Amino acid sequence: MAEDSAAVTEVPAELGETAKLAGWSDDLILQLLSAGAQPADLMRYMTMGVSEAQVRQYMAQQASAEGGGMELTLAWLDVPTEWGTKAKPTKHGLTLDAINIGKYGEVPDVWEYQSEMPRGAVAISGVEGMGYSVYEKHELWADNAAQLYEEAIQRRWRPASDVDWEAIQQLPDDLEHAICQICTHFSEKAQLEADVLSKWQERLSYGYHEVKLYLATVIFEGARHNELFRKRALSNGGGLGLQSTGWGIRSATDARNFTELIAIQMVLQDSFTLTQYELCERYAPSLAEKQLFRLAMQDKARHVAYGIAHLKYVLLHKPERREELERYLDKAEFMLLADDKDTATREAFAILFGGSQEKIHEGLRTYEEMRARQVQQYLARLRWATLERKDTLVPALRQYAEEREAATA
Amino acid sequence: MAKFPSVEWFEEVKNLVNNDEEYKRLGTFDSKVGIKVGDQLLELEFEAFECTGVREISEDDLRDVDFWLEQSPEQWQEMLENIKDNGSADLSHTLNTIDLNIPEGFARSHDGYRRDAFYRFNQSLQHFFDSSSKIDTEFAVGASS
Repeated sequence: MAEDSAAVTEVPAELGETAKLAGWSDDLILQLLSAGAQPADLMRYMTMGVSEAQVRQYMAQQASAEGGGMELTLAWLDVPTEWGTKAKPTKHGLTLDAINIGKYGEVPDVWEYQSEMPRGAVAISGVEGMGYSVYEKHELWADNAAQLYEEAIQRRWRPASDVDWEAIQQLPDDLEHAICQICTHFSEKAQLEADVLSKWQERLSYGYHEVKLYLATVIFEGARHNELFRKRALSNGGGLGLQSTGWGIRSATDARNFTELIAIQMVLQDSFTLTQYELCERYAPSLAEKQLFRLAMQDKARHVAYGIAHLKYVLLHKPERREELERYLDKAEFMLLADDKDTATREAFAILFGGSQEKIHEGLRTYEEMRARQVQQYLARLRWATLERKDTLVPALRQYAEEREAATA
Repeated sequence: MAKFPSVEWFEEVKNLVNNDEEYKRLGTFDSKVGIKVGDQLLELEFEAFECTGVREISEDDLRDVDFWLEQSPEQWQEMLENIKDNGSADLSHTLNTIDLNIPEGFARSHDGYRRDAFYRFNQSLQHFFDSSSKIDTEFAVGASS
């Protein structure tokens, strides 16, 4: 704002109307226009929700800075946030839900700020944008995000010391090879999930901190699962196996919007992985290995819970996106099936489920049963999210649903 | 000696876990879990770091639980005797293993989302049943454990 601008004595009509709605006084408008502010800029600040108090605070800061920055204004003490807030701890401690009170608990449908301002704080002008691209609630929200964050933090565990590594028994070579191959696969997939989500984290705006916080735990859990399965592969006389073909995960790495990513990764992929953990727990050769799969299962079930709750939120609030979401799932299911080209991991599962290389055909039958269970659980979760997909699954998966239906008829 | 299944039996296990630091260290556990043993139905309520309630329920009440655990009285007895003998479930008797061994599933639900609480809190629920190794059990039919 130029200091030497001429005094303005009349507020332009359009600006005056918007100012009334925004709660700005004529006196403030005249002061700003006289100081050289452009009407278009003022209109923008008003529609962004900047209050008169914030503007006056900014002006005081500017005046202070121009005076050499030595003058103490203490204007920040009058910041118009909700003062006197006193959140109460619950049985779970002081949770995110417990502090979501008053203005701080209002989650807007659209977040209008481009900076890292926390929800409920007061915006100041002049802060540089952070380049977020996800600003609308329906693009990332899930009603259980805060609860899942608390659950993830409370139920954290340590692969180094919470698994009884000494109790893992010496295994025949074929079984050790099988477990190591499976662990190589799980370890790789876990790190990839962490990497893909990390890339998206910086694009999610600050207004939805519950989701950002929860996703931070998912990223950490990806690292933990990488650690867990790598440790199992290297702790019992075996080693890492072949890398995965990477077909199935391409659909997640190629996702172009956040809901697409979540539908592919945390609804489809994680749902199928959770079932694999269940089967691995069932067929694990020692109590220690059963325990490590149970621990991983808990984390993975939370990932699915966020994914499916987000999907439900989108479908209920943006029903016009239903067809679009089905298309993402079509593509992802097709790519997931391409993962069956990873014969090493399929055969490794079959040896684990059969108990030995000699019983690999028995194990392959269990592998097929696992696939049927994956489909059934995936469909049940989608049904909860209001998506009935039994008849629109890709044919190679639909056959499992149809066979199950015929068997229970 | 508490008889299984009964409110008294589950109250004994509840008191054990509510005073067990190892159980609390597993983290918060928030769920309503049904227990179905033959015709007998009970509900366990878990909140934060405690089991907060045990009560008898009716078939209709199963709509309000996240999931329920159902197997025959003989299978329940086998599971609990195995836990008593080993101090915790062996390879064939963990909750998840039993779930996969029973065609209709051990953990059942009317809700595809709420059933996943069985997985989200699996370690805590396993610890709950493993804690029953510390009490003596009389089964409604058959031998004591």
